[in-house]
Amino acid sequence: MSRSPWWQQLAPLLGLFLLCLVLSLASPHFLTVDNLLNVLRQSAINAILALGQLVVIITAGIDLSIGSVVGLTIVVLTLLMRHGVPVLLAAAVALALGTAIGLINGLLLTRLRLPHPFISTLGTLNVARGAALLLAGGVPISGLPPGFREVVAGSLLGVPMPVVIAALAYLVMHVFLGRTVYGRDLYAIGGNREAARLCGIPVDRRLNLAYALSGASAGLAAIVLAARMNSGFPLAGTGAELDAIAAVIIGGASFFGGVGTVGGTLIGALIIGFLRNGLNLLDVSAFWQMIVIGVVIVVAVWIDVLRQRVGRTA
Amino acid sequence: MKGTTWIGWGAVLMAAGALAGCRGSSENIHPDPGASVQPKEIEIALVTKAMDSEFWLVMADGAKAAAAARPGVKLSIVAPDREINIDQQVTILEDQTRKGVKALVVSPAGSAQILSALEQATQRGVPVILVDTDAPFDKKVTYIGTNNRRGGQLAAKGLAEAIGSAHAEVALISGVPGNESQDERALGFIDAVASEYPNLKLVAQQPGNSERALGLTVMENILTAHPNVKGVFATNDQMALGAMEALEARGLRGKVKIVGFDATKEAVQATVDGRLAGSVAQNPFLMGQRGVEAALAALDGKPVEKRIDTGTELVTAANAAKYLK
Repeated sequence: MSRSPWWQQLAPLLGLFLLCLVLSLASPHFLTVDNLLNVLRQSAINAILALGQLVVIITAGIDLSIGSVVGLTIVVLTLLMRHGVPVLLAAAVALALGTAIGLINGLLLTRLRLPHPFISTLGTLNVARGAALLLAGGVPISGLPPGFREVVAGSLLGVPMPVVIAALAYLVMHVFLGRTVYGRDLYAIGGNREAARLCGIPVDRRLNLAYALSGASAGLAAIVLAARMNSGFPLAGTGAELDAIAAVIIGGASFFGGVGTVGGTLIGALIIGFLRNGLNLLDVSAFWQMIVIGVVIVVAVWIDVLRQRVGRTA
Repeated sequence: MKGTTWIGWGAVLMAAGALAGCRGSSENIHPDPGASVQPKEIEIALVTKAMDSEFWLVMADGAKAAAAARPGVKLSIVAPDREINIDQQVTILEDQTRKGVKALVVSPAGSAQILSALEQATQRGVPVILVDTDAPFDKKVTYIGTNNRRGGQLAAKGLAEAIGSAHAEVALISGVPGNESQDERALGFIDAVASEYPNLKLVAQQPGNSERALGLTVMENILTAHPNVKGVFATNDQMALGAMEALEARGLRGKVKIVGFDATKEAVQATVDGRLAGSVAQNPFLMGQRGVEAALAALDGKPVEKRIDTGTELVTAANAAKYLK
């Protein structure tokens, strides 16, 4: 039940490959080491957010709050750094804050029994954004210690640091979802919550964990974003949850839960990143980009539907 | 394994979708590696904050005019889908730099946030020209935009002319405190009222955060505290139009003069109808035009002034016609 067959990831992988092929034919600037590293760096933040989103989508849930959590944690992180708090401590606080808001999302679901995470996370979406605006007074926070940007947005052996951070997060999550009892429980809960409960899985605790992880990924994304932008701003991450959800869905996860892989999500995030980059290189307007990405989401889910239909009749 | 057939079809469709989008508006696809043999064209990108209002469209027209005036110049005009998508503007700037544009004309969506992207561009030898909104970026070629302080002074002049020589109380509705261009407009107005128009007395100053609804409530509050107010300057048209609603609800249409800022179509129409005394117009066309001209001058190695003022004009009923075209 937990791991999908290898060929389920074939559709997004093939899509990514074809996309790169088309883009390298369409633009002479696409297939250069410099640009490919550029896309990886640009995709890192969405990829990290998508990782958290994947965990909740596997449990048949959703987390709409992550974009706002990025906004709140980036404001807290940068305010702390500007007031002389050591960078590592500030980053730890940002991660903890993201995790805490995620945990609240989980508790709203498991303790208050709100009917759907759409509602609880819609609530925290607004609360977190409002808090970010209040704390920042509506203006960007700059003047961060120079070392922060140099390290977190710099590069390690030629690879951009945001990419290194995202890669580490993916590795950890791959092991967590695929090789630990927690991961197996999450797939089981998403597959059939009642059956999971009857099997003795502590469903509520696992759901709390899933949302806490989603919040933590938002905290991590905020740290990377702050370094990339060299500042904090209260509107950071506005709408980011939608790109993250899109990456997860394009990557083959099912909204009905129980299905989805770390590898697929990575491919989904890269498809969105390469698509944006390619369209930018071709000077396609942002409005067209929205249409293209919308079409890709629908087509990707349509493939999923067809696949399931074929699977049932075969 | 029947599934893979469908997957293949789906992937092809995906790519087709992407291609359809590309073909939509791109004019410069060179799959041919020998393309560089063609006579060299100079590509310049104008990156605005968004493309969702008249202001940006007019700026784009100005840039196009300047590009058309010089053969061999190709102009790309790109923008995030909304002004608040600062990270999208950063991505666009990075991608345009990778694409090999020779110069960037940029209106920063976030002055602090886009600095590293601008840095990347100058490191690659791409000159950066800022338009409309300045940023603390030392290596910029120039900043081209409205002198907002002068705009505020012009608003004071317009209000003084509308009120006449009698002694009168006036009020100021300002923008989000800390927003540089809004603050400058307010300061210019305050200075001019204090130094040049002794018959005017500034009795109230309150922020309306550039929002129409707040402009209305702030105006109501000002009227309650200072019922003799005869003139109001709002640092943008949205607030001016909000204040206008508040005044008209109290039957004070035309009795209290209002001057706004930006000369939006709606405000200019209200000026023609005698509901506003006027509005200070910026010149986005000139910003786009001068922006591309400065980029070309920088590429030619010619000197460019560090600060270029695109000017302001007071729009009143007398000259409103040209703003309503």
